[in-house]
Amino acid sequence: MQPIPASAAIEFRDVSYRVADTQILSGLNLQVEKGETLVLLGRSGSGKTTTLKLVNRLLSPTTGEVRVKGVPNAESDVIRLRRGIGYVIQDVGLFPHFTVQRNIGLVPKIEGWPQDRIRARVVELLQVVGLGPEMATRYPHQLSGGQRQRVGVARALAADPEVLLMDEPFGALDPLTRDELQREFFLLQQRLHKTVVFVTHDLREALRLGSRIALMEAGRLVTVLTPQEFLRSTDPWASAYVRAFGDGLESAANRGAS
Amino acid sequence: MRILRLSLGLLALVMVLLLASCSPSHADRVVIGSKNFTESLILGELIAQQIEAHTTLKVERRFYLAGTYICQQAILAGRIDVYPEYTGTALTAILKQNAGPDNQNVYQRVKDAYEQRFGLTLGPALGFNDTFAMEIRGDDARRLNIKTLSQASAFAPKWRAGFGYEFMERSDGYRGLAETYGLHFAEQPRVMDLGLLARALRDHQIDLAAGNATDGLITALDLFVLEDDKHYFPPYEAVPVIREQTLREHPEVGLALAELAGKISDDEMRRMNYAADGQHREAKEVVQEFLRSKRLIQ
Amino acid sequence: MNVVRFILQNRGEVWESTLQHLWLVGLSTMFATAIGVPLGILIAHRTRLNKPVLATANIIQTIPGLALFGFLLPVSWLGARADRLAILALTLYALLPIIRNTYTGIRGVDPAVVEAGRGMGLTESQLLFQVELPLAVSVILSGVRVAVVISVGLATIAAAIGAGGLGEFIFRGLAMVDNRVILAGAIPAAILALVADIGVGWIERRLQPR
Repeated sequence: MQPIPASAAIEFRDVSYRVADTQILSGLNLQVEKGETLVLLGRSGSGKTTTLKLVNRLLSPTTGEVRVKGVPNAESDVIRLRRGIGYVIQDVGLFPHFTVQRNIGLVPKIEGWPQDRIRARVVELLQVVGLGPEMATRYPHQLSGGQRQRVGVARALAADPEVLLMDEPFGALDPLTRDELQREFFLLQQRLHKTVVFVTHDLREALRLGSRIALMEAGRLVTVLTPQEFLRSTDPWASAYVRAFGDGLESAANRGAS
Repeated sequence: MRILRLSLGLLALVMVLLLASCSPSHADRVVIGSKNFTESLILGELIAQQIEAHTTLKVERRFYLAGTYICQQAILAGRIDVYPEYTGTALTAILKQNAGPDNQNVYQRVKDAYEQRFGLTLGPALGFNDTFAMEIRGDDARRLNIKTLSQASAFAPKWRAGFGYEFMERSDGYRGLAETYGLHFAEQPRVMDLGLLARALRDHQIDLAAGNATDGLITALDLFVLEDDKHYFPPYEAVPVIREQTLREHPEVGLALAELAGKISDDEMRRMNYAADGQHREAKEVVQEFLRSKRLIQ
Repeated sequence: MNVVRFILQNRGEVWESTLQHLWLVGLSTMFATAIGVPLGILIAHRTRLNKPVLATANIIQTIPGLALFGFLLPVSWLGARADRLAILALTLYALLPIIRNTYTGIRGVDPAVVEAGRGMGLTESQLLFQVELPLAVSVILSGVRVAVVISVGLATIAAAIGAGGLGEFIFRGLAMVDNRVILAGAIPAAILALVADIGVGWIERRLQPR
């Protein structure tokens, strides 16, 4: 067994996940270091979303152990665990009957923050995700797709969690908005240094945002490489991916202009 | 804000429900009920007019209630305060007891049970016994020379019988009678509307009917009432059933009804029934006439 | 109009019967909501139960109202007081629309919203009371509305077994062959049903999620 780095924020130890007769994940061993952006890359059915959901215990492993901040998930209180992890999904899932303000402020509110602290935090976060303060009183149905996802990210950051889970967060947006949000997220992460696990099937996005890319195929971890290593990799799956995505990947890997 | 409004709405609803649930306290009025056949309507009207004449209370009439059970439920719920019932009916249909040998003390038994179980009491009996009358045509009675039910049972296999719905179903009705007298008819007795039985008998559609002893048509159509020699039927004395709460609040009601004790004979009831049914006179008028004749009202 | 004059002349009685009717409908709808909404939530979350529960409620509703009254009459505790019996029967009748609409309402909440809520660390009860129920309330209320309108109608039949209410006028009027008496019961009953339908419908629209 490999020595476990002291800074590992999230660990998967021999994790497998099975539902009825289908083996969805097998033999997963992975460490996510504190402050890094680990991208789970793979095509549909590769098990990447399942892996993500094991972190905040929306799913529980069939065998093996998942640890967050050194504590096995099975032993921690699931509500406390989830409150300490930000969760952003593709469909955003904003509460339609709450204003932007109440959406972002929900976790702080149930954590018992005083009202004025919540209000200040909402204003702060709106700015962080590039929205004006007047957005606070709007309802989700009044926002564009891009604005909604910005609110989604703000909501995930509200209680200042150390870990952020993102499941294809920009997948439902148009290419221009997606590009914009990717760029902004990258800058945000440089400032905040959260531990991020980011799921995507888009290699370009992975190269742009990830500090490391964990390639998954058919429920197994194929390889974990930095963006630069990925491009030069001789691994058959990795190179298949690179070929499928065509040109212009270098600049993505270099976090340059797209 | 929204939660506040919803809660207020809910509170208002609950208050309306509580208001509605309070047993109607008939502060200044008395509600008289009755069943939906002529004799009950006449008795109801009688009670109503007596109370109107002898108290200052406003009287409301809620007649034509569909039967014994409906009246019982209405008086228990306080929707009516008084209604005319028969001791025999109260005993068997409501208290679900058997009359027992010799039909002794039915009035007292019913009164005690009503007071104990229902918070209801009985006023004094009005005087007549409206028991079940097994009627045959006067001609047949004379021709066959029969006077009692025991004698009649010999002829039953050649007869068709007609009964009202309640008589067929009640445990103190047809079933027990057939057993007691060994009655076997040619075919199943026909179930008919009470009002049509007497005429069907006269018109030879049936040969034996279960009517009431005070049926006005008995004299009018020359029908003969067979004697219940084995005393199968319990007495059916007419009595006012009264809510104890009503008596407490308005003792003058009790006094007014006490004056009616024993005032109506079998024959007088028959005549009132006939006046209303046969002569199609208004119950109001018939009752007024009767009360005047007894000097109970002006 | 003859009927209007009659109703005004007897307004005390009509009012009393209307209150009695409201009592029957209101109490039974409250019970049905108290039982039906939690049941609806239960089967929305544990879908294995949804077929048996909905099927049972469906069967109860299929029984003709008067027949249901008849079934319950021999039960001595119920038969002793007709209004008790009527309230029980009305409650049973109101269950299906309420359970079914609660089920539909909760299942109709966007799964992404539920997933986001759960992932954020909302407890199951916070999720239920702060997210699912507020989003489903309009659909649930529409089920309550159907239940109320059915109950107003069925309660008029309850008078046939002695439970009182506006139906008592109708049955008495039939026996008396007097239209005014019949209408003194029928008209307020119809008005009650309309008012309930419009009233609850208004609340439904106000609470609809955007």
